[in-house]
Amino acid sequence: MIGLRGIRKTYGRTTALDGLELDVREGEFFCLLGPSGAGKTTTLKTVAGLEQPDSGTVELDGKDMRGVEPYDRGVAMCFESYALYPHRSAYDNLASPLRSPRHRLPAAEARDRIGAIAELLGISGLLDRPVGQLSNGQRQRVALGRVLVRPARAFLLDEPLSHLDAKLRQQMRAELKAIGAVQHTTTLYVTHDSVEALALGDRIGVIRNGRIVQTGTREEIWYRPYDTEVARAFGRPRINLLPGTVTEDGGFRSADGKVELPVRAQARAGTDVLVGVRPRDLSLTGPGHELTGTVYVTEVLGRSVEVTVRLGEQQVSLVAARADTTGLRPDDPVRLAVRPENLLLFEADGPQGPGRLIGTR
Amino acid sequence: MTVRKRLLGWLADLALILYFLFALFPIAWMVILSLKPANELFSTYFSFTPTLDGYRTVLGDSEGIPFVRFFVNSLVVSVGAVVLSLVVGLPAAYASARWRFKGSENLMFTLLSFRFAPELTVIIPLFVLYQKLGLFDTYVGMIWVLQLVTLPLIVWIMRSYFADLTPELEQAALLDGYTRKQAFFKVALPLVKPGIAAVSLLAFIFAWNNFVFPLILTSNEAQTVTVGALSFLGGDRPKYNLTAAAALVSVVPPLLLALTIQRYLVRGLSFGAVKS
Repeated sequence: MIGLRGIRKTYGRTTALDGLELDVREGEFFCLLGPSGAGKTTTLKTVAGLEQPDSGTVELDGKDMRGVEPYDRGVAMCFESYALYPHRSAYDNLASPLRSPRHRLPAAEARDRIGAIAELLGISGLLDRPVGQLSNGQRQRVALGRVLVRPARAFLLDEPLSHLDAKLRQQMRAELKAIGAVQHTTTLYVTHDSVEALALGDRIGVIRNGRIVQTGTREEIWYRPYDTEVARAFGRPRINLLPGTVTEDGGFRSADGKVELPVRAQARAGTDVLVGVRPRDLSLTGPGHELTGTVYVTEVLGRSVEVTVRLGEQQVSLVAARADTTGLRPDDPVRLAVRPENLLLFEADGPQGPGRLIGTR
Repeated sequence: MTVRKRLLGWLADLALILYFLFALFPIAWMVILSLKPANELFSTYFSFTPTLDGYRTVLGDSEGIPFVRFFVNSLVVSVGAVVLSLVVGLPAAYASARWRFKGSENLMFTLLSFRFAPELTVIIPLFVLYQKLGLFDTYVGMIWVLQLVTLPLIVWIMRSYFADLTPELEQAALLDGYTRKQAFFKVALPLVKPGIAAVSLLAFIFAWNNFVFPLILTSNEAQTVTVGALSFLGGDRPKYNLTAAAALVSVVPPLLLALTIQRYLVRGLSFGAVKS
């Protein structure tokens, strides 16, 4: 539905988008995840027609949008800076799209629409206030409301929850996808928060240095990350990455020789690799390949406990149920288990970039 | 310590009072002069019997000098020049703030150069042109030539106001379903209102105070107060009291405008528009 083909965009000497390819399907909730400066906002503005790409094409509903004014593209965008009209009230900001020549609605109908959206976003009591008197979180919700209140071919949301406090953000995250308008409108959602991306995205695109590194469902991104950086981006605590080499029989031996893991490497013996295993895939009790180490530190995270374990010269963290960790003290010997199918094998990170995934079980 | 502090405070007060006297002295002198009867003008000792005769003469048209008409002319010409400059200059300022196009910087610099080139350099060709075109001594002619004064000012100052506005506000308007023209009129313009008020006032004062253009390009019909006030100096004896009265009367409109518009001069309406 939204298609970006080989988009390049430079500002002076900096390259914002470097041959970006992206396909968002009809009705899909697509999350674009990346660090700041990766080109997320530029991507949204290019789709909206606010920025002209140096080369490449933007397609909406299969039609080339070259030369089509933002006004005629029919997409709605929520700006990270809110871009609210400071000289108007919250209500007038929400009403702005409904009063425009493009979407003009009768005043009574507009009032109902705005009332419903304001209710949904918890800003009903603020509608008469000038936006200058609202807090950042309130402004952000008004900005989101201004997008959701109108019909659109696609919603483009630029970090729309970033300035809400933690509790409200979690609540809004849950509600956002339940909003009817969002359910049946193609949505391109930009965020730097992997938790948000995993929670919201039907599919996720990981963007880095103006290119899409990987696109996929949350399962694909989680279980088959394209490279170590994608693997690091998802999951807290972060994925454990153990450096080592491929052995003669295609297994893995850590750099200090103390850890061996049963991977199936499609690489020459002696190749430098990284083995990735997520903290939740290491257990103290379960079945699987066993490793021995010593406890380094334990940290209670509510019902579960994060345990950092020394394996030779390396440290790995794992998350275990609280009951399994009673009595664990620093320097206690401990037995870990990992299922071989949960091991990810990456090339070693090199100067040309993070190491790519080369094997799983 | 406190004694020294107090002493410093007094010294500062004294300095301020001295400066105050220094700054206000010419105005006080003008006021006294304007209130003097004609026979006390050239007395070598201080004598002062206040009278409003000077003002009566100036405003009453009795010396054969139509000062009230000059006053009206000044108003028409200055207001006209500012309005025309706003109509032409606001879109120009907006365009130059938002888009870099071929030659845009040269264009802006040329506009600015009107401000620092002395008006006298072009006055003779202008005089000849105005004679030939029938613009000499007309409102249209004056308003037109005053664009050299008001337009660069308005374009340059408003350009920086527009440049300070984040383009995302207009972008939001475009996506809300407004055209570029509507985004300009409904979003950008209201946000620079304080700027428009301030720059209009400045431009008005510059136009009002302009001397060279009305001196050379008007004779009677479209003459303004700056030149008109000097007419009282002509004749066998310079009538300083009348000149002073005329000058003080002609200060009134800019002064009133400045006072009424003062609160708009405080910038900050767009504060809170965008997260900082």
